[in-house]
Amino acid sequence: MSYQRTQNYNNRRQKNWSRNQNTVAYTSAIKLGPVAHTVLVALMITVLGLIYLTQATRATSYDYATQKIDSQIAELNTQKNDLQIENARLTALETVKSSSVASAMTTPATTDYIQQ
Amino acid sequence: MNLELQKGSRSKILAAVIFGLMTIFVVRLFYLQIIQHDYYVGLANKEQIKRLTIPAKRGVIYMLDGQTPVPLVMNQTVYTVFADPQTVNDDNKIISTIQQIAGGNARGGLQALLDKKDSRYQIIATKVTRTQADKIKAEKLKGIGFQQESQRVYTEGTMAAQTLGFVDFGGIGRYGVEAKFNERLTGVDGMLQSVTDVSDVPLTIGNNNINKPADDGDNIVLSIDRNIQSHTEQALVDGLKRTGATRGSAILMDPQTGRVLAMANLPTYNPAKFNEVTEIADFNNNVVSAPYEPGSDMKTLTMATGIDKGVVSADATYVNTDQIEVGDRVISNASRGQTGTITFQHAMNWSLNTGFVTVAERLGDGSSITLEARNTMYDYFYNKFHLGQLTGIEVANEATGTIISPTSADGNAVQYATMAFGQGLDVTMVQVASAFNSIVNGGKYYKPTIIAGVIDKNGKYIADTTPEPTISVAESTANQVRQMTQIARNTNFAGVDKPGYYIGGKTGTSQVAKNGTYADDETVATYLGFGGSEETTRYVIMVQVSGDHKEFAGNYDAMPIFTDISNWMLNYLEIQPKG
Repeated sequence: MSYQRTQNYNNRRQKNWSRNQNTVAYTSAIKLGPVAHTVLVALMITVLGLIYLTQATRATSYDYATQKIDSQIAELNTQKNDLQIENARLTALETVKSSSVASAMTTPATTDYIQQ
Repeated sequence: MNLELQKGSRSKILAAVIFGLMTIFVVRLFYLQIIQHDYYVGLANKEQIKRLTIPAKRGVIYMLDGQTPVPLVMNQTVYTVFADPQTVNDDNKIISTIQQIAGGNARGGLQALLDKKDSRYQIIATKVTRTQADKIKAEKLKGIGFQQESQRVYTEGTMAAQTLGFVDFGGIGRYGVEAKFNERLTGVDGMLQSVTDVSDVPLTIGNNNINKPADDGDNIVLSIDRNIQSHTEQALVDGLKRTGATRGSAILMDPQTGRVLAMANLPTYNPAKFNEVTEIADFNNNVVSAPYEPGSDMKTLTMATGIDKGVVSADATYVNTDQIEVGDRVISNASRGQTGTITFQHAMNWSLNTGFVTVAERLGDGSSITLEARNTMYDYFYNKFHLGQLTGIEVANEATGTIISPTSADGNAVQYATMAFGQGLDVTMVQVASAFNSIVNGGKYYKPTIIAGVIDKNGKYIADTTPEPTISVAESTANQVRQMTQIARNTNFAGVDKPGYYIGGKTGTSQVAKNGTYADDETVATYLGFGGSEETTRYVIMVQVSGDHKEFAGNYDAMPIFTDISNWMLNYLEIQPKG
């Protein structure tokens, strides 16, 4: 390719295009008609609907997981409470008094006090 | 041309039909979705949205062990096991499993219950623990279901039963602290409103979800020390066994704060088995609910009134002739022979009625109980010692008692003469013990309380502060009366106390009014005393024993119980003796 110098030299800046600017416009050979457009829009709506449904289902699945954890927490709390009751019963005075350790204790004959 | 016209006509007809149908659809949809919107939303919500109650936990009641709160009344999750007789398919396995695991909680006649095929709900075991329920569930019995509920657990059995009260089958507190603080202990139920699935699992979809957590009941710490309570109850049991009394009550207080350290009553019951109690009187806390004539215990308060008004002192004298005339009545001493000119200390030692009628007379013109004397006595008894009125102690069913006003028709000189030695007035033990607190602590009246504080939501113990006292008598008056009771005790009961301590007290033996007259075959014995060091009184104990058609004396029947508790308290509080 070679350039033909015109008689009247024009500076490149005087032209209506400049460096790094597309100078060629391509036109697609594929033409979409109204039916194709309608189908595409319908497809897009379907995809969006599916996305919505998957997200909504996922949220619901979290509900089941939450419910399961809540049940476990409730179960553990019940177990903890039962253990606290058992602990209270085992350390109750009635239990302590009737223990073998308590029955082996004797009353001291005398009591001395540290003089303050 | 005709063909085109016909084609066009059919198209138009079809279009018109479609348009018409669409119009019907649109109108119908408009009607359903716009006009009937609220109605169908309501129907949908009714099906989809569930409103669940989140039950509030009833507050736990604690006692003190020294300075440490320990749980005394707790909540336990238990299960009711039920069967659907139309669904069960293996009666023998169900019966053997339930009897083996639930034991005494299984109902009798299980086969008969399972045979009720026209029923779909038969309770086959109650109050089954979680462990037992898990074992039954593991058997995978068809047609067996579980209902969860909460029940109160009393870890110390019968201890302080009348003070605690109980919770009935409807979940309402009855008697004692349970009734007094029913609202505080109950809390407020929460609510969960949500769209749920078929298994009632709440889902986050929907715009009307509400999650309001339950506000659990307060966890209350009582000022009662379980060690002191236990020993007081044991001393009372031993005392009743020794004396043959059928009823006994005791209260032990800290005179420096007004806090109740122990409060016991016999006969007692197990709050967990309240439905098995046959005598309803066993529920009553007689320390606060049973006014009685206190007898000679009142002489300490009469003496304090006289000393505080400056008309008598411990060393002042009067002439005792073992009887004294008031109006048209003659009042005699129960202890005779201490005649002549004697001191009021001597009258206190021998509990001479004449001495305290004389105090009442000296509050007037010196020879009769004038209106001025009666007004003074009423002012001290009612306004300063807070007798004959509610103390505000935090247990249910507190009784007021009666102090007859001098302006009423019955408030004459004879009435006030008998009031001077503890007859003719009705008071409760907690009133008398609280008034006596102010005698042994230097004249400060503290409102009696059974509450030491609360356990907050983080499990931290927050102790209540001691409220400001009111002044009942001057400090010098209080000290003088305290010393008089110490001398009275050591005069009559020398050697019963551990040596090196400052112990005092006053006996009381009072008649019982029945049907308007005093019964001649029944008396109530009391002892009101204190203990600690000479500098500081650490405890006040009041004991009462009685029984239908039985006569008891304060010195023989009530005083030994006081001594038992008092000597134990000196060790428990680690008070160092002098000398």
